[in-house]
Amino acid sequence: MTVMSLENVHKSFGKNEVLKGVSLSIAKGEVVGIIGASGGGKSTLLRCATLLETFERGSLSYGDLMVAQEVDGRTVYAKKDVLAQAKQRFGLVFQNFNLFPHYTVLKNITDAPLRVQKRDKDEVMQTAAQLIEKMGLQGKENMVPNELSGGQQQRVAIARALCSHPDILFFDEPTSALDPLLTREVLRVIRQLAEEHMTMVIVTHEMAFARDVADRVVFMDGGVIVEEGPAAELINNPQHERTRAFLSKTEQG
Amino acid sequence: MTFQTIMSILLAGLGMTAKIFVITLAGSLPLGIVIALARMSKFKILSWPAKFYISFLRGTPLMLQLMAIMFGPYYLFHLELGTNWKFVACCIGFILNYAAYFAEIYRSGIQSIPKGQHEAAAVLGYSKSQTFFLIVLPQVIKRILPAMGNEIITLVKDTSLAFVLGIAEMFTQAKAIAAREVSMLPYAITALIYWICCLLIEWLLSLGEKKMAYYHD
Repeated sequence: MTVMSLENVHKSFGKNEVLKGVSLSIAKGEVVGIIGASGGGKSTLLRCATLLETFERGSLSYGDLMVAQEVDGRTVYAKKDVLAQAKQRFGLVFQNFNLFPHYTVLKNITDAPLRVQKRDKDEVMQTAAQLIEKMGLQGKENMVPNELSGGQQQRVAIARALCSHPDILFFDEPTSALDPLLTREVLRVIRQLAEEHMTMVIVTHEMAFARDVADRVVFMDGGVIVEEGPAAELINNPQHERTRAFLSKTEQG
Repeated sequence: MTFQTIMSILLAGLGMTAKIFVITLAGSLPLGIVIALARMSKFKILSWPAKFYISFLRGTPLMLQLMAIMFGPYYLFHLELGTNWKFVACCIGFILNYAAYFAEIYRSGIQSIPKGQHEAAAVLGYSKSQTFFLIVLPQVIKRILPAMGNEIITLVKDTSLAFVLGIAEMFTQAKAIAAREVSMLPYAITALIYWICCLLIEWLLSLGEKKMAYYHD
């Protein structure tokens, strides 16, 4: 079953075409890593998928929800209520966490489910308590983000995204703002989610992590998908020259 | 005139001063948000009038604005607006003027909130107005409180400009007593009272800042 599908997406900023016809389809339970050099279009692709950017050509759907459709060579977005519905189907974890600094950890996690999804308070609190435990954040419920380490903040952000019960979770370089030690604790919870078959798309510079955790890895460069395939295969034995060049550079550090 | 009489007249004037002060804040604080949002709108039909409004109201003397609102309706349209008009005109003038300053303070605060806050809220499904009132505005208030404090303190003393409309606020009363008694004492007392009011406001503002000191970003 396809959870999310992008087809032939073109996106420009002014005259600079950042995505030049990208198609990506994610199956339920799949973990996909997106790798590639900065400026290759990885983050823009995630931002298009999460409706933070609009694209000019191509289409986007979440399951049976048609979010954006190409009509006569131009993308037409669905009505507001469809977009609102689509937003309930995905979550996004940012590089800089983007927690709400004036809300406590608990409120960061529960506010959207309560206020946006209007779910039952007892149920949301229960879900949040489970997520807090899973993310190793017990005892931090009433702290505010600036009292936490970067790694803890990112785990709150993951819990916040998960509490809305998304079908798919996107990560935009979730560990790029963290030091190696904190990176490890965040990668550990993502790994745990992968073991539970949470559907995830992870833009990352952590090659070893992508190889171990992702089912499939996508290499993007110059606004296109250059190569994609089973994670270990692509990273250990890349077929394309550009992929090889990129991977050898990252190995050298 | 005994000291007691002077004090009772001045304190009655202080009542009027407080009335102008409170009404001005109640009107201009929300109006400032509306003007700031218009000013930041991507639609020129909103942003241009807002820019003009801010520029004009900050660029002309408040005293002239008060007089224009007071006498304009009569000289332009021959409207007789009754005895209440004086006070209403005064409040309108203060609200419109202070809203222009507040709008720019709000704008500085709103623009200082990182884009990531809007994006996080958008992805979680918050509506535009929920994002503004729940996520952005509380953070804006924390950031702009010191600048707001400046304006609010200025307003305490600016209320004395109401004397040009002959409104019996504290400064108007002090002037009248000083002229009759040929004494500087009423002015000195008035200065002291203004200062005490400002100290009270400084204290309230510091309480507000403390209340929001539980987080930073």
